[in-house]
Amino acid sequence: MLSILIIFSVLMPFVFFMASSAEQPNVWEVTQITMNVTFFLNIIFVVVIAADSVASEFSTGTIKLLLIRPWSRSKILLSKYISLILFSVLSSVVVFGVAFLSSNIWFNYEGNSGMFPSTSSNISYTLMILGSSYVQLIMITMIAFMISTLFRSSTFAIALSLFVLFTKDIFLAILNPDQYGWMKYVIFTHMDLKGYINSSVGPGGSSFTFSILVLAGYYIVFVLLSWFVFKKRDIAT
Amino acid sequence: MLLHLKRVNKMQQEPVVRLEAVSKVISSKVIIDNLNLEIVPGQVFGFLGPNGAGKTTTIRMMVGLISITQGDIVICGHSIKNNFEAAIANVGAIVENPEMYKYLSGYQNLRHFARMMPGVTKQRIQDVIALVGLDNRIHDKVKTYSLGMRQRLGVAQAILHNPKLLILDEPTNGLDPQGIRELRDYLRHLCRIEGTTVFVSSHLLSEMELMCDRVAIIQNGRLIDVRQLKNEEGVAVTAAEIAFEVDQPRQAAELLGVDRVDRIENNQLILKVSREEAADINARLVQAGLKVYGIREVTRTLEDQFLEMTGSEQIV
Repeated sequence: MLSILIIFSVLMPFVFFMASSAEQPNVWEVTQITMNVTFFLNIIFVVVIAADSVASEFSTGTIKLLLIRPWSRSKILLSKYISLILFSVLSSVVVFGVAFLSSNIWFNYEGNSGMFPSTSSNISYTLMILGSSYVQLIMITMIAFMISTLFRSSTFAIALSLFVLFTKDIFLAILNPDQYGWMKYVIFTHMDLKGYINSSVGPGGSSFTFSILVLAGYYIVFVLLSWFVFKKRDIAT
Repeated sequence: MLLHLKRVNKMQQEPVVRLEAVSKVISSKVIIDNLNLEIVPGQVFGFLGPNGAGKTTTIRMMVGLISITQGDIVICGHSIKNNFEAAIANVGAIVENPEMYKYLSGYQNLRHFARMMPGVTKQRIQDVIALVGLDNRIHDKVKTYSLGMRQRLGVAQAILHNPKLLILDEPTNGLDPQGIRELRDYLRHLCRIEGTTVFVSSHLLSEMELMCDRVAIIQNGRLIDVRQLKNEEGVAVTAAEIAFEVDQPRQAAELLGVDRVDRIENNQLILKVSREEAADINARLVQAGLKVYGIREVTRTLEDQFLEMTGSEQIV
């Protein structure tokens, strides 16, 4: 999976180079455009791994051997989650790093195609987009991990998480939080924090702090649910 | 010196496993009913029962895979309920088929599990691989292994950390006769030489008879009986009866003294005597002009005793 990400990250800046317009974009802009695609791929890959993580232990039966060890179930679940997060960090760094290096080959720092807002510097804008994308990754991954733990089926976990990923924008468009006030409390509204870079008022009139709180709240519920079910489950087959 | 010996003796009798009034209820159905069992160290303990008796459920409760509704299981002094990590550190187990990570090699699997337990060195892994006889194939991926090889790998992962208690649920599943023999020899070796206590559940009564020192029989979730099959030295405990096949049983009985004879079946005199006495009796019978066609040992096998105890098998 990493190799696919690397290939895309290397090739896309090159493609932009070939299709260059009158205004040459600078390194940061190209990196950003590349990451729009590759980070989305990145999320999908991490979600697949998350969904497989716990469920496959159950379906292959290796969970038995894993649990008959001097470690509490909580520690085992935590270790799986940590390895997942480590991978996501690695893959995100690779996505960013390779795109950046590749853009450096074909572009320079002088150009400006007007993609970025003039309010913040190029670096900080890129990093902020990266940060908000990563938050989105964390949330979707947690959903996938939770479904994997609850339903012990990787297929179901992958399908449901990707469904959420692809359709949340549609839901947001239909159930516009500005019209439906209660949408403010639904997680989908706040998963994309990019809007806060340009304006301090988010969907449905919420603030940045509010979004973070809602996300954190949902996250804690997901964690507790996964942990509780994993701890109490009887493994009878 | 004597006091020290006494203390050691008492320590040796401290049970490795104690099931205290263990019950398991699933959707108001009582699967295991008030099970009390003690297993002292250094023996091979068998767990027998008809299908659906609750053997696998009990074993899974012992290793923490299934929760205990009531009661507790104490392993080497630590409760599974309250002190899981300390209790399980003494246990190695194979529950049904040992499933490994198929995309890893046997060696990688063992390294993975070894890392989860303190004090397992690379040398120990090598020793264990040699012990189970997988040296040639250990670096191949597990998906290329046959069932027998996977069972052996399962035994390997269970003994990596030198557990005091080895729990095996139907370990002879899928093994060929040689494999079964090797496993049996290996378990007895573990027990006698390294002092590991082995807890085995199986359907193969003939195997259990050969392997176990003591057996517990469970039916419908209740403990029916516990009996000693072999004593400390590994000698069978059940007294043997000798049957003499003669041409004139009644005359033979009179010759030997009617009270000595247990019973007469067909043309056979059945007595409870030792080997030496049997030879003497043979000599006396022949001297008296009676024909002795055969002398054989009559033992009620474990299978007979088991079927008698558990009666007709009703599916629960």
